[in-house]
Amino acid sequence: MIEILQWSTLIVCGAAALSRIPNLVRRKNRSMFYVLALMTLATLLSIKGPYLVIDGLLGGTNLANLLLRFIIFGAIYFLGIRIANGFGDERGMRLIRGHAGSVFLALISAALLVLFAMMDTEGSSAGMATVSIKDERNGMLVEYYGAAGRAYPAYVCLVLLPAMLRAVRSTLPALLRISALLLAIGGLAVALSVLFPVVPPAIGFVEFVINYTAILCFVVGLALIWVAKVRAGRGARDRVERPAARR
Amino acid sequence: MPLPAKAFQRWLHGIAPDTSIADVCRLSGVKRTTLAQQLVRGKVAEATVVSISRAFGVNPVSSLAYFDTYRDLAGPQVPPTPQELVSQISTVDLLRAVIARSTPTAEAAAESPAGAATAAGRSPAPEQPAPAQPAPPEQPVPAREQQALSPVPHATSVKNWVDAIDDGELRHRVSAATGIAPQNYSAQLTANRMAPEVAIATSRAAGVGLTGGLVATGLVTEAEAGWNPGARQSALDMLSEGDLTALAGDRLQALGKILRRQEHDHQQTEKIWENLG
Repeated sequence: MIEILQWSTLIVCGAAALSRIPNLVRRKNRSMFYVLALMTLATLLSIKGPYLVIDGLLGGTNLANLLLRFIIFGAIYFLGIRIANGFGDERGMRLIRGHAGSVFLALISAALLVLFAMMDTEGSSAGMATVSIKDERNGMLVEYYGAAGRAYPAYVCLVLLPAMLRAVRSTLPALLRISALLLAIGGLAVALSVLFPVVPPAIGFVEFVINYTAILCFVVGLALIWVAKVRAGRGARDRVERPAARR
Repeated sequence: MPLPAKAFQRWLHGIAPDTSIADVCRLSGVKRTTLAQQLVRGKVAEATVVSISRAFGVNPVSSLAYFDTYRDLAGPQVPPTPQELVSQISTVDLLRAVIARSTPTAEAAAESPAGAATAAGRSPAPEQPAPAQPAPPEQPVPAREQQALSPVPHATSVKNWVDAIDDGELRHRVSAATGIAPQNYSAQLTANRMAPEVAIATSRAAGVGLTGGLVATGLVTEAEAGWNPGARQSALDMLSEGDLTALAGDRLQALGKILRRQEHDHQQTEKIWENLG
């Protein structure tokens, strides 16, 4: 079940990224392609099989997991900026790009690196499962490390949540409001992931469901915005895309 | 709730006993697939009955009265109130009336465009070349009475109609009577839409003639509802200058709000596409 969810998420992400290649070639809204490509890569790295292969290439010390965390940070940072910009959320923009956001990102990144260095990371395993069961000290470090990795995405998503909910209640075209709803659900799921340490192990699968729900909601939400734009027809599209091309 | 298919078949047999469904569709302009689907689902739309009635020269309102839901439409109807009549005049027509009334006098304007200019206290010299070009369309329409009101429904006719008959509690009564949530009702008004049975329920809750909502939603015409041809115009003429100006002002303000919101939504949409599309 979880495997299916993982692979279908990967396929959806990959398809969404591929659909932006024409725009990439035309130099339109290129950062959307990078965001989707990063999300695809992040999904790939969070699936057991691919993770083991890639981490093996990187020396088998779970360096791939650290890489995954920073890929997620990058994707969420650029996506957050794009969403805040698109939905006209100036407060969100300030909180992501301004001092608060930068300081938070720097602190979290430093914490990740320090925690990673303190761990005995030998032995590839997705989610660093084998590292955490080595001994109590490593187990705790993995817990903190995971919490730090989820904190920044949760921060960005919480910042954007009010603007999304406002858009859902607005009088925008239906497709865009559905997109905003999906982005809001995705954001909420990411924010909820901060609570993972208190999730009882018995219902550990909930963590997977929340993780992949978040990614799927984001990707499908973004895809719907794209669909709405394409459906709006040529006339509107040309008007919209000319200013975008300058970016 | 649309009309039950069985009753519809009976009604159709009554007005067009020897006509095939295909011919009914051809004559009335109702799409064959649409009617077939409505019959299969067992629910025929009121608009279908109205179109078919028109094609067979039957009054749509009395056709609707054949069905249980609309039984009360049978027989003579309470005529619309002046407020209802005025609510069915488009904003542009109201503004035109404001301008017509504030133009010096109808006779002065009728005599000649130059005369109107002199009456307004302007020097006739610079005005004279101007009427030369736009004169042809203007001369046949000398006085304000000549300009016919545009037909019902106009762009905000449903909302204006409800506002015209609302005593402040109407929305609550309608929602209690029909079970429609107040916010859904408001959303319908904003979209200038209303289901025929809700329109009837609204009329009933407001204690006005039952056809008002059907006219405001454009289901039937003024004439089909039995409104006098000049009723709207005379209701407009009866408005005092102050009332007319205040009403036009309200309408303009509402229109401005709608347009601003549309512009804002449009900008927002483009911005989202620009950033995320």
